Amino acid sequence: MRDFGNKVRKKIILLSAVFSLCLTGLAGRTIYLMVFESAYYSKMARDVHERERDIKAQRGEILDRNGNVLAGNKPVCTISVIHNQITDEEKVIDTLTSILKLDREKVEKRVKKVSSIERIMSNVDKEIADKIEALSLDGVKVDEDYKRYYPYGMLASKVLGFTGSDNQGIIGLEVKYDDVLRGQNGKILTTTDAKGREVSSQGERRVEPVKGNTLRTTLDLNIQSYADTLARGVMEAKQAEGVSIIVMRPDNGEIYAMVDIPEFDPNHPFEGAVSENDLNAMWRNRCINDTYEPGSAFKVFTAAAALSHEVTTVSEAFHCPGYVVVEDRRIKCHKTNGHGSETFETAIMNSCNPVFVTVGLRLGPERFYDTFQKFGLLEKTGIDLPGEAATIMHKKDAIGQVELATMSFGQSFQITPIQLCTMVSSVINGGNRVVPHVAMEASDVSGNSILTYQYQAKKGIVSPEISAEMRRLLEKVVAEGGGAKAQVAGFRIGGKTATSQTLPRNSGRYISSFVGFAPADDPKVLALCVIYTPKGIYYGGQIAAPVVARLFENILPYLERMNYNEG
Amino acid sequence: MAARNSRGRARRKNEYFFDYTLLTVVIFLIAFGLLMIYSASSYNANLNFGDPKHFVKSQLFATTLGAVVMVAVITIDYHLLQKFAVPIYIISAVLVMLVLTPLGIERNGARRWLNLGISLQPAEIAKIAVIVMVATLACKMGRYAKSFKGIVIMAVSGILMALIIGVFNKNMSTAIIVCAITAVMIFVIDPDYKKYFIGALLVAVAAGIVIFIAKTSLTSDSGFRLKRIAAWLDPTAFSSDTSFQTLQGLYAIGSGSIFGKGLGQSMQKLGFIPESQNDMIFSIICEELGIFGALVVIFLYVLLIWRCMVIANNAPDLFGALIVVGVMGHFAIQVIMNIAVVTNTMPNTGVSLPFISYGGSSALFLMAEIGLVLNVSKSIRLHELG
Repeated sequence: MRDFGNKVRKKIILLSAVFSLCLTGLAGRTIYLMVFESAYYSKMARDVHERERDIKAQRGEILDRNGNVLAGNKPVCTISVIHNQITDEEKVIDTLTSILKLDREKVEKRVKKVSSIERIMSNVDKEIADKIEALSLDGVKVDEDYKRYYPYGMLASKVLGFTGSDNQGIIGLEVKYDDVLRGQNGKILTTTDAKGREVSSQGERRVEPVKGNTLRTTLDLNIQSYADTLARGVMEAKQAEGVSIIVMRPDNGEIYAMVDIPEFDPNHPFEGAVSENDLNAMWRNRCINDTYEPGSAFKVFTAAAALSHEVTTVSEAFHCPGYVVVEDRRIKCHKTNGHGSETFETAIMNSCNPVFVTVGLRLGPERFYDTFQKFGLLEKTGIDLPGEAATIMHKKDAIGQVELATMSFGQSFQITPIQLCTMVSSVINGGNRVVPHVAMEASDVSGNSILTYQYQAKKGIVSPEISAEMRRLLEKVVAEGGGAKAQVAGFRIGGKTATSQTLPRNSGRYISSFVGFAPADDPKVLALCVIYTPKGIYYGGQIAAPVVARLFENILPYLERMNYNEG
Repeated sequence: MAARNSRGRARRKNEYFFDYTLLTVVIFLIAFGLLMIYSASSYNANLNFGDPKHFVKSQLFATTLGAVVMVAVITIDYHLLQKFAVPIYIISAVLVMLVLTPLGIERNGARRWLNLGISLQPAEIAKIAVIVMVATLACKMGRYAKSFKGIVIMAVSGILMALIIGVFNKNMSTAIIVCAITAVMIFVIDPDYKKYFIGALLVAVAAGIVIFIAKTSLTSDSGFRLKRIAAWLDPTAFSSDTSFQTLQGLYAIGSGSIFGKGLGQSMQKLGFIPESQNDMIFSIICEELGIFGALVVIFLYVLLIWRCMVIANNAPDLFGALIVVGVMGHFAIQVIMNIAVVTNTMPNTGVSLPFISYGGSSALFLMAEIGLVLNVSKSIRLHELG
């Protein structure tokens, strides 16, 4: 009795079949998404659900050669509040105000602020943070991380460097060995809703941080401290602008100490400077970052070159009238009335400029320059500290007689203090140009050595015989000549003084220095003291040599006891 | 038809059919919908309104109202609709246009609601109006309905309403649904197959061309519709804007996996899927109840389609059959489009999931429509059920 036919009915059946088919297809699509794409979308979903808070990894420690920690880590905490999770506002405010000794009003404002997370205080000492954590107040979060800490404050600051807010190395060893020292940051993954509010029922996931590797250096805490004290002493006594002391092993290049006063406090590296330039000046390590005219200490090179090329002998007789004329220039000796008759040996002891000019001119520009190059002075020493300055030197074909004459006694070109130490080392150690260095060994968290740093010395700078002769001559400089103030009772000391006027020449500003080594016959330690712009007496033999003498006085018995020689 | 009640054979009092299966499925879907709305919306409702039941309360109110309307619709003879088809059509068209007057309410940047004491989305009434109108026209025109002219008249009645909705409410997806419902009803009325196959083919070809254009010549100043298509093809490339919602929905579906996270355990409803109780609620079902939950929901809709088909095929007259076909077309199209959008099977367009998605007007009028279907089922004599 229906008033419509089977045609309509068929269509209705077809239609519902098509609809059901579509739904079946979509069911298939849903199953596909939920089974085969599930892992992919789950992961993407988790990525949007989780907010990361980094846990800073501890940086590896920097040790001195005896395992004393020069740069370590201090656990610090960040105290934060999560507004939505606080149950007792007043109690939280009271507790935080009293324990952290903060202004109540400030704490109240932060606690009452509706935000996902509000930091109350960072770099809170661990003990204080532990007290807060022990109370386990709802909504108060204590996150622990680590801050670089230099237990000896300013000591060796320019060698060690410091780190930035992300624990990354900025200068010094910290940046040079950043790869070694840097740990792997961990994470706290918190499940949150779309606006970043924590969903407490889901809990936290932690990815633990990995501490960085330990770097053992060649520095010796005691020598560094003592050199530091001496440098500060002479800086104050001489009202100098700065004092650098380098103590190293001439036979293998290990740096025992590197001091450049004034040092800065690496725990607060940005304090005490107004501008960026001030900061850079403050952080600058003159031992390696700046060049100077080495002055008479460079006569070690001229003498070694002259003897190697046999342009003179130690016993050759010279005469010094107090000056020497080179082309149209009259170059004065520091002893204005002249040293009179003297042998080359006594000329070294007297640090007589005219004699050195004479032998320098005998070498000639070509040989002088080539020897300069052979000694490695045109290259950097390769010390493992960032920012080593390059030598400032005449071009080979621009060296005339006057330039050659001035270079013979260490003027008209510039090298770094570390370059001078390296050069003197190679002259006295039997002719090996060693690579000065600070890093000795890297080891992992459990103390297993992972890398021992190797440094390749260049052999044959001078012959062993010349080297022995130079040691003898430089010992005489201290024993009987201009370096007498570097004498240490009971020890054989060799060395060379230097006093150079800084540019411009008539400024009355000097750099006084002394480079010494001991024992003179078998050098185990070499020290350079550079005093920048001293007031009053400025002769290196008078003011820098005693510093090295007092340093040796103390460290030579110490070194004998420590017996670092093997290795 | 006059002989309907004058049969000689004595029968039990309850000689007329009533589709309890359909009623059960609908009641189950609505209850399930309320549960899922509560689950999906409580977190944000608590944050924004201080009441986790904010949305579910409002939906419960609409559902209750819908239940009353449904009972009313069941009891009134559906043939009366034939007389009022034109006034209903005109009134709904006017209501749709009234949205632009001060009576209109704007939500989420779209002005689609009317404040008539309770807020209503007149486009939902318009869907019923079109179903009734097309069914009435078909019956009134009799055999002329199958002529080209008849088909055009019926099509025009649907397209006109779609245009009004499109222009006055800027509601593209509802306009499409209205056209689709009309097309479905005409397909049933017209005994021809060929032109519908050709039509389907043409639509497929057109879709292919649009996809090709979206893939090859998308520029930064392309319109948002083309961009939506491009975003559909590669949702991760538009993750920050156009396909943000789609992608978040896929995250929810994917992280549901086989067993789901458990009722109430969705992460994506915590603000990642904006208004997750609305169009994207299927993704929350997947996330919380897993494949099982998703398949049960889809199965219930298939059941619903099957019941509608049975009722339509056994309806005592063409008008009843067409009303049921229209209603079936309405929710089937919406279900298919909604799930297709949520699973990124088609480009994003705002279509709600019938009986489950949050939305008062939608719930109210869908229940009225089910009332119509039940009304028709009630007129089937048991012995004629085949």
